[in-house]
Parts: sequence; C-alpha cells; structure tokens
Amino acid sequence: MNEIFTLALLFSTLRQTTPILLTALGGLFSERSGVVNIGLEGMMLFGALAAAVVTQRLEVPFLVSDPNAQVWWVPWVGLLAGAVVGGLVALVHAIASIKYKADQIISGTAINLLALGAPSLVLEYYYDNSTSSQEVVNRLPLIPVGSENLSPLVFLAFLLVPVIWWVLFKTPWGLRLRAVGEHPEAAETMGVNVIRTRYIAVVISGLLAGIAGAYLSIGFLNQFVKGMSAGLGFIALAALIVGKWHPIGILGSTLLFGFASALSIQLTGRNILPVPVVQAIPFILTMLVLVGFIGRSRPPAAVGKPYDK
Amino acid sequence: MALAPWVVPKREFGGVGYLLTPFGAVNPQNLELPATLGLGWVGAAFWVWVGLMLAASLAFLLLDPRSRSRTLYALGALGVGLFALEAVLFYQAVNAANEAALAGGAPRAPLRRFTLSLGAYLGFFYAVALLLLARLQLPGGKAFLVRYRGAVVPVVSLVLSVLVGALLILVLGRVPGVEGLSLSLREWIALKLDLITFSFQLLFSPIYTLSGWFNSLQQTTPLIFAGLAVAFAFRAGLFNIGGPGQITLGAIFVMIVGVFMPGPGWIVLPLSILAAALGGALWGGLAGWLKARFGANEVVNTIMLNYIAASVLLFFLASNQQRFFNYTFYLPFKAQGFEAKSLELRPEAQLPLMINLLAPGGEFSWALPMALVAGLVVFFFLRRADLGRRLLLTGGAAILGYAVGGLIPGPAVAGNVMRDLAASKLNGSFLLAVGVLILVHYYLLRTVGGYEMRAAGLAPKAAEYAGINLGRKIVLAMLISGALAGLAATHYVQGGVMDEYRLKQSIPVGVGFDGIAVALMGQNTSLGVALAGFLFGVLRTGGLDLSQQLGISRELVTVIISLVVLAIALGGLLPRYFTDPLKAAQVETEAKDEEEALTKTQRAS
Repeated sequence: MNEIFTLALLFSTLRQTTPILLTALGGLFSERSGVVNIGLEGMMLFGALAAAVVTQRLEVPFLVSDPNAQVWWVPWVGLLAGAVVGGLVALVHAIASIKYKADQIISGTAINLLALGAPSLVLEYYYDNSTSSQEVVNRLPLIPVGSENLSPLVFLAFLLVPVIWWVLFKTPWGLRLRAVGEHPEAAETMGVNVIRTRYIAVVISGLLAGIAGAYLSIGFLNQFVKGMSAGLGFIALAALIVGKWHPIGILGSTLLFGFASALSIQLTGRNILPVPVVQAIPFILTMLVLVGFIGRSRPPAAVGKPYDK
Repeated sequence: MALAPWVVPKREFGGVGYLLTPFGAVNPQNLELPATLGLGWVGAAFWVWVGLMLAASLAFLLLDPRSRSRTLYALGALGVGLFALEAVLFYQAVNAANEAALAGGAPRAPLRRFTLSLGAYLGFFYAVALLLLARLQLPGGKAFLVRYRGAVVPVVSLVLSVLVGALLILVLGRVPGVEGLSLSLREWIALKLDLITFSFQLLFSPIYTLSGWFNSLQQTTPLIFAGLAVAFAFRAGLFNIGGPGQITLGAIFVMIVGVFMPGPGWIVLPLSILAAALGGALWGGLAGWLKARFGANEVVNTIMLNYIAASVLLFFLASNQQRFFNYTFYLPFKAQGFEAKSLELRPEAQLPLMINLLAPGGEFSWALPMALVAGLVVFFFLRRADLGRRLLLTGGAAILGYAVGGLIPGPAVAGNVMRDLAASKLNGSFLLAVGVLILVHYYLLRTVGGYEMRAAGLAPKAAEYAGINLGRKIVLAMLISGALAGLAATHYVQGGVMDEYRLKQSIPVGVGFDGIAVALMGQNTSLGVALAGFLFGVLRTGGLDLSQQLGISRELVTVIISLVVLAIALGGLLPRYFTDPLKAAQVETEAKDEEEALTKTQRAS
C-alpha cells in the first residue's frame, strides 16, 4: 500500500487539480455575479479543441524541414486560442442568460451538448477523423521541479487563488461583483452596471475554462480527444459548492478532487480494486461530499435568477 | 433567389450535380442532360416571383388593413400555387425525358436523382410568410400567433438551428467534385448553396420513402422514452440530465433478467421490461432521494450518476474476473471474446420485431389493428366510467381484439415492404413507447397524482401549503422519470437493434441527452414529445445518408439537436410575450379589447 503514497502521487495530485481549479475559479466569477454556469464542461472542451487545432495548424510549416521542430511561441498562441474560444462560448451563454433571460441551466446544458457534437465536425474537416485530432509536437513547455516536471499552468492555477481572493474581496470591482450576485437591485441603485458586470464575469469564467481545456489538450496530453474533459467541468461545479464560493475554500475542495483523481490513476493497473470501481471514485466522492456540504454552504442569493430592470 | 440553384435535374451519388439557376446552368463536372428535357421555364418563373414580390411590397401601401390583408392572402395563395405548378412542370419534364430515353433504347433512366432546389423552396417559404403576414394585418393577428406559441416557439427554434447548421456546412463542408477547377463567384455561390440544400434534403429524405419511415420510427423509439423522461421531470419542476445513466442501469437490469431468468415468455418478457424500468428508476430515484432528503441539486447528481453508471457497465462487461484486494471474484456476465458484450438473451426475453407482429410469414396480420380498434372503441364508449376501470376494460378489449384479429386471415404483404420493415429492426419496443406515451399523458392530465405532480412543478410553495408532500413528490417524480428513461434499454437490448440480443458496451446511451431536446421541442406535452421524437428520428436516419454521400460527419445532427435546445432556451429569439405566460395573457386581452372597440365603431357607423 505504501508504494502508492509517494512523491509521485503529490505531483499527480497537483496535475489533476489544475484543470479543476482553473475551471472552478472561473465558475466562481460567474456564480458570484449571479449566473449559474453549468456549461463549464463544454467551454473546457471547446477550449481544448481550439488549442489543439490551432497549435497543430501553426506548427505545420515548421515541421516540414524538421519533424521535431520546437517553436516556443506556437503552443502559447494555442493556449490563447483556447482561452478566447472558451470566452466566446461563454459569451453565448451570457447573451442567453442575461439578454434573453433564458433558463441558465438549460442554456448551459445546450453548450455541453454542443461540445459533444460540434468538435467532430471540425475534426472531420481538418483530419478526416471524428474522434481525435492529430498529435501536436509543440506542447506547452514543462518546468522541472525536483525529479518531476510541471506545466507552467499548474503554477498559474495556484497563483490565481490569492490573486482572485484579492480581486474579489479587496478591490471595489470585486465588491460590486459580489453585490450584483447577492442583490442586483440594490447594486443597481448604488450605480453598479449589473448587466455589464455579469457579462464580464461570465466571459472570465469561459476564459479560465478554456485555459483549463488547453491544459488538457496541449499541456497534459498532446492532442484533442472527443469528450476528453470527462466530467471535470461538473466536478469543478461541485468544488464550487463544497468550497463555499470562496477562492480558499475552492483551493481545498479542488485539491480533494484532484487527489481522488490522482489516486484513481495510481490504483489503475495495480490489480487491487477493479478498474471500473477505481474510475468511479472521483464521481462517487463528489456526490458524497456534496451531500455532506448541503446546508453548510450558501450560494449567492441572486444566483440563477435573470435580472429584470 | 437569383443566385441559388432552382432545380437539380441530375445528381451523381457523391453529390455532384447539374444545377440550373435562373441565369444559366452551373455544371462543374460537365454532366450531360437528355436533349428532350424541357426546363426553359425556370428563368421565366424567377421573373414571375420578382413580380409577386413587388406586388406584395406594394400591398403594404394600402391603407385599410382589411384590404391589405386580403391582397396579401391572395398573393400568398398565388405563390403556393406557383410553387405547386413549378413542381408539376419539373417532375413532368423529368419523367418525359426519362421515358423518351427509355423508349430510345437506353438501358435505364438517365435521370435518377432529381429535385427542386433552394430557389424554388425560397419561393414557397416566401408565400407562406405572406399568408402569415396577411393574418398579422388583421386585428388580433399578434394574439393569434401568441395563442399558438406552443407550436410557434419550437418551429422558430428549429428554423434558427437549421440556419446555424447551414452556416456550419457553409464553413466546414467541401463542395464535391470541384477540386482544381477555377470557378466564378456566381458559380461558387451556387455550388455552396446547393451543398447546403442537398445536405438538408438528405437529412429530411427519410420522409419520402417507406424504408425511411421504418428506420425513422426505429430511431424514434428510444427518443420517445428519453424525451418523456425529461418532460415528466420538467413537469414536476425537476431537470433530469441523467438519461444516459438511467438507460445504462435499465440495460444492465434487463440483461440480468433476460439472460438468467428461466420460465415461459409470458412471464419473462414482462418481467424483463419491468426490470429495465426498475433499473432506471433506481438511478433516477437515487438523485430524487438525495434532493428530497438533503437538498442536493439533482442536476449535478444526475450527471455524476451518468459517469458512475458508465463504470458500472464496464464492471459488468469488461472482464469475467475482478479483484478486490486479495480476493478474486468471478462474474458470469461477459460473453467470450474480445468485444465487451454480455451473453445472449434467452429467446423468451427477446422483444418480437414489428415484422413478426404485423406480418408473420409474409401475410398481414389483423391482430394489432384489431387490438387498436377494440381498445379505442371501448375507451370512447366508457367516457362516464372512472379512469381505472376505463383503462382496465380498454386493455382487456385490446387483448381480445388481438386474439380475434390473429385468427382472421390477411392479405399478403408486398416483398419490398417486408424487406424494408425487416431491415429497419423496428420492434415491439415501439409499441411499448406509444403505450407509455399515452399512459403518461393520462397520468399527468387526468389523475389526482398527476395533478399534484404538476402543481408541485408549477408552484412548489403553493403546492406544499395545499398539503402536497413535496419531498415524496420529488422522489416519485424522479423514480418515474428514471423508469421511463430505463425503458429505452428495452429497445437496444431486447429489440435487437444492435445486431444481437445482447448488452454491449457500445450501447448508445447518449440518446438520453437527446431526450432533453425532444422534451423542450415538444413543450413537455405527450403529443409534442411524439412529434419531436419523430422529427429527430428522421434527422438521425438522414444523418447516415449525409455522412455516406457528402462525407459530412453525422454529428451535424447532434449539433442541430443541441442548437434546438439552445434556441428554445433563448425563446426562439422571439419577443418575451411568446415565452412568458403572463405577458402572453396580456397580449390576448389587448387583442380582445381592440376587436371589441372595432366592432363598436362599426356598429356606430
């Protein structure tokens, strides 16, 4: 048993936590502003797709002379593309839920469904293949830490926690954002532009989910695979609830889920528990923790309600 | 209209066509048409339409709303007639050319794939729009649309999704057979428009053939179950995104009963169907219980349960031995071989194919139609009886009708119909779906329990004050919703649509998600679910043709279906009074006042 709990497990935990943490921090903005974003999973997938395809298309001319050519800026442009596409998809959700006052859960679900089908059309167009993209050569670089390597996005994710805490709780804009999510009418009376604040918050959530997706496709792996986020976006939503809509709480809850995922990977192939049981661990844990935290965690008061002037 | 292809008299299998636009032909592959084909009227038809449009624009200058409306009605009717005339002319011309060629000794007809195209369709849509506009000119026109918002919103949403889908084809589709050719802008536009038109013609093509209908109905079956599941939960104020997980559990339960339960068919078959419902109910009910007991959000939990169900399925089918620490367990479920699939169901647990119900041995059987007629007659004659007895007697009459009908000899069925019906794998699960559809309709609208369920969905607080136990209703609603989804497994495991009567890991449980679109499109009503289910069934069948002929991924259908969900969430981009019942009522009252005021002034003068 002891061989499972090693330093490698710690690093694996950090890697597994990163996409959940990034996405949950994004969701924090959206929900604190009063918009439920169940489409995070879909935004992640679109971000992953955009990052992989853009990186692959950009590196093609460089690979002609050297099939292993490393061009430092290519994956970063891919990352940017992932973030932008994530943000654009979030904009669709924002327009639906803010301008058209759509049911936010249904709008988010539509985005998740779209993310299951639409990538196939793009993949078919570029790669004559509907389930995965061509592998990219230029992945995001790795930073050596001791005996292991970590993606710079891992550092970004953990650095964002104090930054976002500061933005939300120590800046005027953060105060306004929280006010919009708690009592939009009161915020409007005090001169806060509720509509604009919500648009910005939802788009930020998409940007971060898109970065998380890019981490999956060109940081963690080297290609886009259909449905590769495998529920991470939903786990991030649960982490938001368990983390009580607070950056520090989210850090704790995502580390818990990251640890569960890392453990499930470590246990796979060790012949201790059946693989399907091991794979279900993160999801079962999510349900159990969620049930335990209901009532002890209070959502922003105006979450999910369209704002009518 | 000027640039779009008007008719496509000839098309090859891969999609290359001879396009005829009002200003000449676009024919990149130099296909040859028979010389006798008379299509010279296309250019003239275009100018007639231009005249019609001018007249329609002028009609808006008329001051009196009644004469304006009358003119628009006339022009719209004229347009519809014109479209019909074009269709008749086109098909006559093609048939004449084909007959001439056959008479001239050609081995087979030269023109086999031919259709009207976008230009002609646009005219038809324009004419229909004129008719609608005419209605809108009259007092109460807006209220007329608002009254039918249950149909207007889904239809507009579908149109929007189709338009976005067209945009996707425009960007991501490749025009076949033009590589290396230099094209003028006009030709390029015509070819792109043709690609879009042809794609949607393929998607909707199953409507035109009998085999298409059979295949579509086969695809509709699981969509009805999944759509009903979501719609039922919606009615109770819950959102069940757990269709995939519930179908998976239903499939596992059905497999266990179907493989291992001994006994005669009349016991095993109903029990295995119940097992499917039970499996789904378990998974749905779990999410319901967590919500009722702990207040846990059913949306997140049903999604988590989807992933867990996938693991459970893998547990049953991945291997015959599983290790828990130092113990090794042996499971009897997986069949020998590389593929992850279960043992075969016993024949008693297999649902009959529709071909064996409708035409056993190639002869039409009166059993099912007689059952239907007997059931309906009894149902309508017992209007006074209470619901339970009414349904019981109806069921009894149906069984009697089935038995009697089975004894009456029927006529022989044509061979091609038999072949199409057999190939479609349409099975007894379809009848089950229709039956369940009717039962759910009656439960929701005609029973106290269903009334309470809807009350709990519409206004939970009010329902609670009225004495309804909300917690119990939530659990019950999720149990029933899950059971409905679970029944979809009967189609896949017992119906033989996956080529074998087994549970396979490749069971397409994603249909549970399509149920969301079906429920929303059908506005959560039974009739709506049936219609929307059939529409998506047609699209899914047509998607197969699309990927075969044009190499466009059939996922386009999934995309269109999810766009429908988005469009309906957006209220079809229609004004708020189409989606908000309070504002809709306001519009109707205003219209009534307006009409009253009008009659008053008429009486006064």
